[in-house]
Amino acid sequence: MHPASLQARDLSGVWYIFGGAALFVAVFVYALIFYCLARWRARGADGGMPPQFDRNPQLEITGVVIPLIIVTGLFYITYVREGVVDFLRPGPYATVNVTAYRWSWQFRYAGHPIVVNGTTQNPPSLVLPVGKMTQINLYSDDVVHAFWIPAFLFKRDANPGLPSSFDVTPTRVGVFQGVCAEYCGFDHALMTFGVRVVPVDVYDRWIASGGRTAI
Amino acid sequence: MTHWLTSTNHKTIGILYMLTTFVFFLIAGVLSLVIRLQLAAPGQNVVGAHAYNQIFTLHGTAMIFLVIAPFAFGLGNYLVPLQIGAPDMAYPRLNLLGVYLFMLSGLTIFAGIFAQGGAADAGWTAYAPLSTVQEGSGGGQDLWVIGILLNSIATITVGINFTATILLYRAPGMTMWRMPIFTWEILATALLILMAFPSLAAAMFELLLSRHYGAHFFDPRFGGNVVLYQHLFWFFGHPEVYVMILPYFGVISEVVAVFSGKPLYGYVGMVLSAFAIAGLSMGVWAHHMFTTGAVANAFFSGMSFLIAVPTGVKYWNWIGTMWRGRLRLTTAMLFAIGFLCNFLIGGITGVMVASPPIDYQVEDSYFLISHFHYTLGGGALFAVFAAIYYWCPKMFGVKLNELLGKINFWLMFVGFNVTFIPWFFMGIEGMPRRVYTYAATGDLPWLNAVSSVGAGIMALGVIAFVLNVVMSKIESKVAQPLPDDPWGDSFTLEWATSCPPPEFNFHALPPIRSERPVWDLHHPELAARRT
Repeated sequence: MHPASLQARDLSGVWYIFGGAALFVAVFVYALIFYCLARWRARGADGGMPPQFDRNPQLEITGVVIPLIIVTGLFYITYVREGVVDFLRPGPYATVNVTAYRWSWQFRYAGHPIVVNGTTQNPPSLVLPVGKMTQINLYSDDVVHAFWIPAFLFKRDANPGLPSSFDVTPTRVGVFQGVCAEYCGFDHALMTFGVRVVPVDVYDRWIASGGRTAI
Repeated sequence: MTHWLTSTNHKTIGILYMLTTFVFFLIAGVLSLVIRLQLAAPGQNVVGAHAYNQIFTLHGTAMIFLVIAPFAFGLGNYLVPLQIGAPDMAYPRLNLLGVYLFMLSGLTIFAGIFAQGGAADAGWTAYAPLSTVQEGSGGGQDLWVIGILLNSIATITVGINFTATILLYRAPGMTMWRMPIFTWEILATALLILMAFPSLAAAMFELLLSRHYGAHFFDPRFGGNVVLYQHLFWFFGHPEVYVMILPYFGVISEVVAVFSGKPLYGYVGMVLSAFAIAGLSMGVWAHHMFTTGAVANAFFSGMSFLIAVPTGVKYWNWIGTMWRGRLRLTTAMLFAIGFLCNFLIGGITGVMVASPPIDYQVEDSYFLISHFHYTLGGGALFAVFAAIYYWCPKMFGVKLNELLGKINFWLMFVGFNVTFIPWFFMGIEGMPRRVYTYAATGDLPWLNAVSSVGAGIMALGVIAFVLNVVMSKIESKVAQPLPDDPWGDSFTLEWATSCPPPEFNFHALPPIRSERPVWDLHHPELAARRT
């Protein structure tokens, strides 16, 4: 996991904690299952009747309390980190209005006469300045889509009639892949876009040229 | 033949359910093989986009509405009256109506293949407004909506019948706290059906009205709301997940206990956890909607985490049941252990996706669909096979071959994990679900290729099963008739009557003094000491 934005770094922290907890629980439960199998597997015909115990209140309550402690901790981490990621900060460096339609994307740079219209055959590119916060406002023209950039560990649905906004602050210069994650019909699979994260001076020049300089 | 279609006997209807689901299972399985063939390498053209979209829609619809849930209804139909010592279900004719409606719903959905524009292609979730726009598949989508509507009505009849039967038709001595765990889980399932399925029926009705009669429930241009459909659908859809797993928790509890030679450990905890899961599952539906940005993520996340607690109780108790037991590794027991291994991964990844910060990455990706295939495929489906191997002698007087059974199990277990482990990595890397092709970048090509090989291995496992059924049937013609309890040391009342049982189940019932009346019958000296 190589998070490519500030928000992705926050999100990846949750991934590591949950991954660790998942591994711990899995190893513990598999160990118990395979211990039972190795130790008490019936061999041959005889062996007699095993002890017929069927309860142990103390142990059963332990079996409730331990998972409860684990999930309470996981919920606390979720709650704190999600607030950080979902919070819309004031004063973005750039604002891009993204409209999803079947089966491509339109990017409009707020305050500038730049409109990038993609087609299914020619997916568009989203240009973002590195190290600066960009606010994305998400719209849909027809059905439900979802705007997903896997390198940023984040997606948000584009619902018709229900605009939605979030921040992204890329931390690495480079080219990333974006896709539509919510099934939207025939060519859903081809509804992709590129993400070009560039140095701020390159971004500024690109904006000033009306989106005409090559990047 | 007429007998099979007109009998109101619960055993006949149960078998009718299970046979029908098996036919749909084979169809859905073949569809999944086409999917894996198409995705085995990037840029393939085994099927086109339009066909692919219909195929995954039908695969998902069939597995959820026509296989995993209704197999449990069939099994419950067969077993519940036997387990509680009743002669039949409470409403035999409603029961027959239910199975008719269920079969009709399957035929209606698949009839879409012959409609102009092909079968439904909006996915098994049929999100509006994709499912209300009148293009692509027209007639096929209509047939799908009507089919699901019929299915929801059929399922509601099942919920009513199980509830009434379990509450009112128990034999003398069969108090609630002596009911077999499978019957308890079916009761929790039935109550869940009664709460959840009306919402599905409402959603389908609103889709139908939106598609044809200008009702703009989900169209924002007329004051409708697209997220409303998702609320209606998942208010049904999440409880449905537990409708598809609670009965199988019951199966696993029965099989693990019998083949450990010990009573179920923590019986009371098992019952309470079933109802805790059922109750909590009514309050988690919007965890399918974290990425809409339009729901209270923290609330639904917290509620979803809580479900891990009663599920943890179940694991604790299954291990407690095996602890110091005498584990007989029959094929049924192997499938139960396979369930424990696979469902654990499904459950743990379920806790992960219940956390919105993780869900933001994996929602609608291959990670998410691997998670639910681990619960419903590696979990519920393995329990289906455990149930078949365990109860086949009772239902048909035929014990399935153990060697072929073990081949069946190992092919399916290895095949399943080879198919679905790669999906977690594909999802994290950025492969969305429901795509007919993908870019030839990163690890996606080889991960997909491995997954397709796994699907092939799983298919061989299913072939081994079919072979086993045929061979065992032939063998049984020359074998001795089976005793009442072919496993030697079973617990519950269905093992106190012949294989298969007579028309009205019992000529005489043993005394019911615990949740293991048949075991008590075999071990009178120990039974007396216990009570």
